[in-house]
Amino acid sequence: MREITYRQAINEALYEEMSRDNKVYLWGEDVCQGSGWGTHNSLAEEFGTERVRETAIHEDAIVGAAVGAGLGGYRIIADIMFVDFLLCAGDEFFNQAAKWRVHNGFQSNIPIVIKAAIGGYAHSGAVHSQCFEGLAMHTPGVKIALPATPADAKGLLKAAIRDNNPVLYLFHKKLLDATGEVPEGEHVVPLGAADIKREGSDVTVVATSFMVTKALQVADELHEKGISLEVIDPRTLEPFDIDTVITSVKKTKRAVIVDEDVSRCGPAAEIAMQIMERAHDCLASPIKRVAAANMPLPGGYLEQYALPQNQDISAAVETVLGLK
Amino acid sequence: MTLTSEQKIKLYTNLVRCRKADEFFVEGFAAGKVLAFWHSGQGQEAIGVGAVTFLREDDYIFFTHRGEGVNELIPRGLSMKKYIARIFGKEGSGPAFPELGMMGMAGTVGGLFTIGAGLAFTAKQNGKGQVVMQCLGDGDTGHGTFHTALLMSRYWNLPTVFLCSNNAMAMWVPTNMIYPRENLADLVYGYDIPSAVVDGQDVEAVNYASQAAVDRARAGGGPSFIECKTHRFRTHNEGMADFCHTSYRDQSEIENWKQNRDPIKLYQEKLKKEGVLTDTDIARINSEIALEVKEAEEYVAGLPVPSEVPDNLEKAIYVD
Repeated sequence: MREITYRQAINEALYEEMSRDNKVYLWGEDVCQGSGWGTHNSLAEEFGTERVRETAIHEDAIVGAAVGAGLGGYRIIADIMFVDFLLCAGDEFFNQAAKWRVHNGFQSNIPIVIKAAIGGYAHSGAVHSQCFEGLAMHTPGVKIALPATPADAKGLLKAAIRDNNPVLYLFHKKLLDATGEVPEGEHVVPLGAADIKREGSDVTVVATSFMVTKALQVADELHEKGISLEVIDPRTLEPFDIDTVITSVKKTKRAVIVDEDVSRCGPAAEIAMQIMERAHDCLASPIKRVAAANMPLPGGYLEQYALPQNQDISAAVETVLGLK
Repeated sequence: MTLTSEQKIKLYTNLVRCRKADEFFVEGFAAGKVLAFWHSGQGQEAIGVGAVTFLREDDYIFFTHRGEGVNELIPRGLSMKKYIARIFGKEGSGPAFPELGMMGMAGTVGGLFTIGAGLAFTAKQNGKGQVVMQCLGDGDTGHGTFHTALLMSRYWNLPTVFLCSNNAMAMWVPTNMIYPRENLADLVYGYDIPSAVVDGQDVEAVNYASQAAVDRARAGGGPSFIECKTHRFRTHNEGMADFCHTSYRDQSEIENWKQNRDPIKLYQEKLKKEGVLTDTDIARINSEIALEVKEAEEYVAGLPVPSEVPDNLEKAIYVD
């Protein structure tokens, strides 16, 4: 199977979906060239500047107008350069996009994709490194896709664009150059289906986005020590495929949740609680979560102490195994 | 647009229907039948009536809490029955009537501008000449998205008519405490958007200006802004005192408006002078509308309070 980068996979998904449905538009700041982290390459040339539109620097209008366009039956992919800036469109995203359908009597739906780059490990500081899956998971009304591989990046984006509800599509900056196998032809990954990225028997590791890469690295290391990790990638946090996670936990009896968002009230806490609610009697030891420190992310050399590192993941695995 | 006698009578009738509907809901609120808030729009009827009565079926409208949509939805064609059923919680929930091009509300003051811009974008792409009548109050212009949406409306040349009711009060704060200039229309000058300032108590003046803006938008001329000077006859929302900053509004001034600046009285006088309406017509219209409201009330009273527990509320927040 051919291998392409995560960046190319996103570009392909955009190209294919815009070709398939001429009501799909892409808009945001500098989307013709300067932004998008390379994921918009050639789209403006191919589809023209009616369908690939550059806006002023106003996320509130970028997101709000996407919501309005959704009400009018168009499918906007609203590009947000760094997910941190989504808060500039806080009312539009958390109050409008997420709540419109219910607030307005279940009479309409908003088919939008908010495409935003997440993640740290680049010393970019507190307001250019965040991951908002926690905020989004705590906001009923939006679906959340966060691909860890090129194949998922393509498949989830295609599904997100076709979905008739708001979808927050979070792509990790550190994964852009990662390569992976991506099938030729139509490749759609349904929202709400977790993927077992690595089968194993000793500990269930649920990991999101770039943390999947780290979990798989740790799985390789610990394999040398005779420890077998089962790495599960939820792929979407809403809908969240708890069933796949529970099946695994019933098998391994131990769980570690790894998510790059802030630990307190984060997705790792939610997932751990859902496992507790459904399968606590299967657990041989308490669940451990590995997530970012409860602080605004420092820039510079301090960043590494606030973000999940491989040794944090292996330490958590060894703890749930009773080895620490 | 030169109005025919028929059109003038329609405007007048709509003014009275809006007033009677609001009076009905003010009473209903006091009786505990209105589920949520009631922000009366009495005194401001001419703006919605003048601007919305002759819109096309495929146009869109947005409005704010002022009047709870009465002054826009009634001229848009919403029946008293449906409206009362909605407000009293008997049928449907929320403020949206998508079949009338009213796609909903945002919940925050000023929250609808960017949404409206997006809908105006689709209107433009559809190429059928649809417009968005974006109704707002003076208070809304404080919100950041008023400005970001104006900017977007201009750089994308969107078919939006911004219809601003300036009743000189932003909730309980006088507008002149906040805005440095007499006319809010001055705000849009910097966005290169044309504007007009009209007497909001004169339904034909509102119609004249808004129709010009609508025609311009339909023809691809882009956005415009109409500021209608008006008066809010009642308190900001029912049940709250009629505060103004650290004190209260001057009730004698309000009485003066009710006597001399009531849009219904003013139009009545005008149409009588023109021979379009007689006193008999006026009385007949009043009793027809009273009957309309009464029948609607009885109909709604006969509806059951919704009691079906929905199957899975959490699932219903998404569509397939």
